[in-house]
Amino acid sequence: MADYSRLYDAILNGDAKTAVAVTKEALAENADPMELVSKHMIPAMDEAGKRFECEEYFVPELLLAARAMKGSLELIRPLLAARGAEPAGRVVIGTVKGDLHDIGKNLVSSMLEGGGFEVVDLGADVPPEKFVDAVKTNNANIVCLSALLTVTMPSMRTTIEALKQAGVRDRVKVMIGGAPVTQQYADEIGADAYGENATAAVTFARKLVAK
Amino acid sequence: MRLKLISCEIFYREMCAVVARSPNMVDIEFLPKGLHDIGSDKMLARLQSALDSVEDARYDAVVLGYGLCGTGIVGLTARSIPVVVPRAHDCITHFLGSKERYAEYFQNHPGVYFKTTGWIERGTDLEQLTRQALHKSGLGYTYSELVEKYGEDNAKFLYEQLCDTTRNYQQFTYIEMGIEPDGRFERIAQEEAAGRGWRFEKIRGDLSLLERLVGGEWDDRDFLTVPPGWRVVARYDESIIGAEPVSQP
Repeated sequence: MADYSRLYDAILNGDAKTAVAVTKEALAENADPMELVSKHMIPAMDEAGKRFECEEYFVPELLLAARAMKGSLELIRPLLAARGAEPAGRVVIGTVKGDLHDIGKNLVSSMLEGGGFEVVDLGADVPPEKFVDAVKTNNANIVCLSALLTVTMPSMRTTIEALKQAGVRDRVKVMIGGAPVTQQYADEIGADAYGENATAAVTFARKLVAK
Repeated sequence: MRLKLISCEIFYREMCAVVARSPNMVDIEFLPKGLHDIGSDKMLARLQSALDSVEDARYDAVVLGYGLCGTGIVGLTARSIPVVVPRAHDCITHFLGSKERYAEYFQNHPGVYFKTTGWIERGTDLEQLTRQALHKSGLGYTYSELVEKYGEDNAKFLYEQLCDTTRNYQQFTYIEMGIEPDGRFERIAQEEAAGRGWRFEKIRGDLSLLERLVGGEWDDRDFLTVPPGWRVVARYDESIIGAEPVSQP
């Protein structure tokens, strides 16, 4: 197999155009799509995450890497699906009812996609019943809830309650995040995990589905 | 009583008005608006340092023109005199007079961005500070700064993702407090709404919570009194905030 480390570099550097170009080239040369993902793309996103953790990268760099990753993935995903390859997990994500602040949620969504998860992004101000429906129709195994305002944090609790009432709480792991959210709050409302930032969200999501 | 008021400058006109009519003697210190944007730990440090420089012996209590503000006041520790703070998520409660009225309004108007005199005329001093603090998170860049740093194509994407923080809002609600000199602030808010194609609504504010704050009428339902040596904690119920003793190491 030819050397596609350029794909790794392009994603890590947030160069979406090059990432797509190299991916096209690789696929034209019959490179194994699975291998492109596991050997070059996911490691590039992991490295971007590490750099973010040690403050070498900040949110913009992380977003650009995720965007480059997404561009490549869009080309590769149909091939993976045709082979019957399963994503790392199926995630339903949104900001909770009443909360219109979606920057953090968008970042987590991009990072999860970059981490190999299939993400159904319900957007902002999502009522509990919409989360429930999305879990059912997409057969999701992770639900991510985001809130920026302490005023809207109680909607996290009501969303978890709604999942319980619909009888789907046991088949999903619930992860929560957002500036005012804490581990203590996650424990209090019975969420499975609290992600302090977008890279922590990916780490937790992987742990949650591995369990 | 003699009180020290440490307040966000978003309430500049309102606090001056209620302090003028207060039975108590109140010294005011205003801090820049928008501290919630620099991160909870930095906001707390800023508030604690303001609190620590109060000459406790001169006052009966310190009253705060703040709410939970994200979690910006969590950990704030009273020194030798009590610290009193309204039970509120944020400043909208202070403008509307009660947390219940805010909750009710918010319930029916999630896409609302509030305007008062403070939003319209205050806060430019802090802009530099918050913009620097925000750059790490990618917020607060201007479009041309992003282009310079990341190139045109990336800048466009980043701007959409990070900088347009009000894209989901649809309405300005102007809260008229009854202390404005004339209609200029309402007009500015209205023009800004029209410029963005947002709805505009004017509602009447209520100074009573602030009056009670500087008046010393601190019932437990609407105010948290943090005893000396105790600190503020977040509560995830109607009480919004509480206090706990700082355990000695």
